[in-house]
Amino acid sequence: MIKLLGAMMIMAAGAMLGFGQARRLRERPAELRRLVMMLQQLETEIEYGCTPLPEALGKFARPDRQALSEMMAGIASLLRRGGGVTVEEAWRLSVDEYWPCTSMNREDREIFVQLGTVLGTSDREDQLKHLRLTAALLKEREAEAAEERRKYEKMWKSLGLLGGALIVVILY
Amino acid sequence: MSAVIKRDWPHIDEVNAGDKPSGREWEEQGETPVLETALRVLPATLAGPVARLPQAVRETLEEIRIRQDRPLEVVYGGRYGFLAADGKLSVSPFSAYRPTRGDCRQLIDLISNHSLYAMEEQLRRGFITVAGGHRVGIAGRVVLERGTVRHMRDIAGFNMRIAREVRGVADRILPLIWDEDLSSVRHTLVVSPPGAGKTTLVRDMARALSYGRDEGPFQRPALKVGIVDERSELAACVEGVPSFDVGPRTDVYDGVPKAEGMMMMIRAMSPDVIVVDEIGREEDAASIHEAVLSGIRVVATAHGRDWRDVAGKPVLKELIAAGAFSRIVVLERSRRVSGGITVLDGSGRPLVGRPAPAAAGRSP
Repeated sequence: MIKLLGAMMIMAAGAMLGFGQARRLRERPAELRRLVMMLQQLETEIEYGCTPLPEALGKFARPDRQALSEMMAGIASLLRRGGGVTVEEAWRLSVDEYWPCTSMNREDREIFVQLGTVLGTSDREDQLKHLRLTAALLKEREAEAAEERRKYEKMWKSLGLLGGALIVVILY
Repeated sequence: MSAVIKRDWPHIDEVNAGDKPSGREWEEQGETPVLETALRVLPATLAGPVARLPQAVRETLEEIRIRQDRPLEVVYGGRYGFLAADGKLSVSPFSAYRPTRGDCRQLIDLISNHSLYAMEEQLRRGFITVAGGHRVGIAGRVVLERGTVRHMRDIAGFNMRIAREVRGVADRILPLIWDEDLSSVRHTLVVSPPGAGKTTLVRDMARALSYGRDEGPFQRPALKVGIVDERSELAACVEGVPSFDVGPRTDVYDGVPKAEGMMMMIRAMSPDVIVVDEIGREEDAASIHEAVLSGIRVVATAHGRDWRDVAGKPVLKELIAAGAFSRIVVLERSRRVSGGITVLDGSGRPLVGRPAPAAAGRSP
C-alpha cells in the first residue's frame, strides 16, 4: 500500500517537473514578445514625447501585476525616489528582483540588462538605436524560443510522466 | 607664493575648524532648503563633501565646480577653494577630491532626470535648470550639425550655480521708479557688472509688482507681470513651473528668445509690465519700442559698469537717446559688503534721495 502511494507520488513529481518545464517553454516566447512590445512603446515615448524616463517607465504599471510590468514600474519608482540612484543601478535592482519570476533565461536577461547601462545617457537618436538593437536581439531570441517550444514542449510533458513511470518501474 | 596666498586665505583654517562626519547625513539633518535641493542632484561622493562644509561656507556657497579627474572646486562669498573628500577646504588643488568618470556619469543622469535625450534644447543652450532653480552649466564635446550646435557628448565639466532669492531688495528702489500718476512702474533699466545681483533684483521687482501692497506705507495695486526668461534665470522654471516665487499675477515664457518672447507676451498675455533680462541685441530694441508703444511698462537689465558705459553701447545708446527708459538703476559690483544702488533718471542725472545701501544678493 505504502509502495503504491510512493509510486504515485514519484509519478506525480515527474509529471509536475515535465509540465513545469513545458510551461516555461510555452511562456518564454510570450514574455519576450511582451518585452519587445514594451521597448517599442518606450521607443515611441522617447521619439515623439521626449518623456522623461521615470515617467515613461511608470506608464507600464498595470493593475494585473504581471512580473514584467512590475519590473518596469519598479525601475520607475526607484528613480522617482531619488537619493542618487542612477538608471543603471535601478535597472539592475529591479531586474534582479523580478526576472526570476519570469520564464526567460540568463542570456535574455543579459541583453536586457545591457540596455539599462545606456538608457537615458545619450541623445535621442542614440537612445533609439539602442532600443531598436535590443528589441531586434530579443526578437531573435523570441523566434528561437518559439522554435524550442515547438520542438520540446510536448517532449517535456511526456518525458516528465514517462520518467516518473521509469523510476517507478525500476524501483518496484 | 604660498605665504602670499596664506594671507589671503586665513578663513580657510577657521573654516575647517568645525567639520562633520561622513555620508549622506544631510538628508536626515534637514539641510537648509537652498542647499538641499542642490545636494539632491549630486552623487553621494560629491554631495558628502559639500554637505560637510562648515555652516559659514554653505550659507555663502555660490558655485560647485565639477570637472572630471580634476579637483573639486567650490566658490563661496567671492572666494574659491578646493574640496577634499572629507569636506576640508584648501587653496591647494593637490589634496582635493577628483570626481571620477563614474561621478560625472551619475551626475549627468541625475541632473537630466535620467533622460538626457529629453534635454536636447537645454544641452544646446549649455545648461540645465534643476529643481530649486539651480543652474548647471555643462561643458563637453560639442556635436555640430550643419554648423550649428546640435548636441553635447562626453560631458566632463559642470558648474552648478546655487540659486538664492533675496526678498525685499526691490522695496528700497520701488518708490524711486514708481509713477504715481499712472500708478505703474516707470520704464526701468537695471545696469551692473555680472555677479552684482541684477537678476536677483529684477526677480524681486517682478514679485513686488505682482503682489502689490494693500497696507502700510507705499500702497500700490498689484500689476500683471510678464517675465520673458530666455536663460531660465529669472523664474528658473522646471517643467513650466517657476522655482522662485515670482508673484501671483506673473506669467512666464521660459527659454524663448527675448525679442520674440516680448512680442508674444504683448500679443498674448496683455501684461502691465514686461520683465526681461540682459537686453542688448538689435532685435531687442524693436521689441522694447513695440512694448512702449503698446503702453506696457518695461523693466530690463543690461551688462555694464555704470551709466556712461551703458550709454556708449550701440543698441542701448539708441534706446536711451529715444527716451525709452525713464529710470536707470545702477548696481555697484561689491562682494560680501553691502552694495551701492544708484537710481538715475533717463538722462543720467542722479535722483535725489539715494536709497539706503542694500545688500545686493547674488544672482543664481
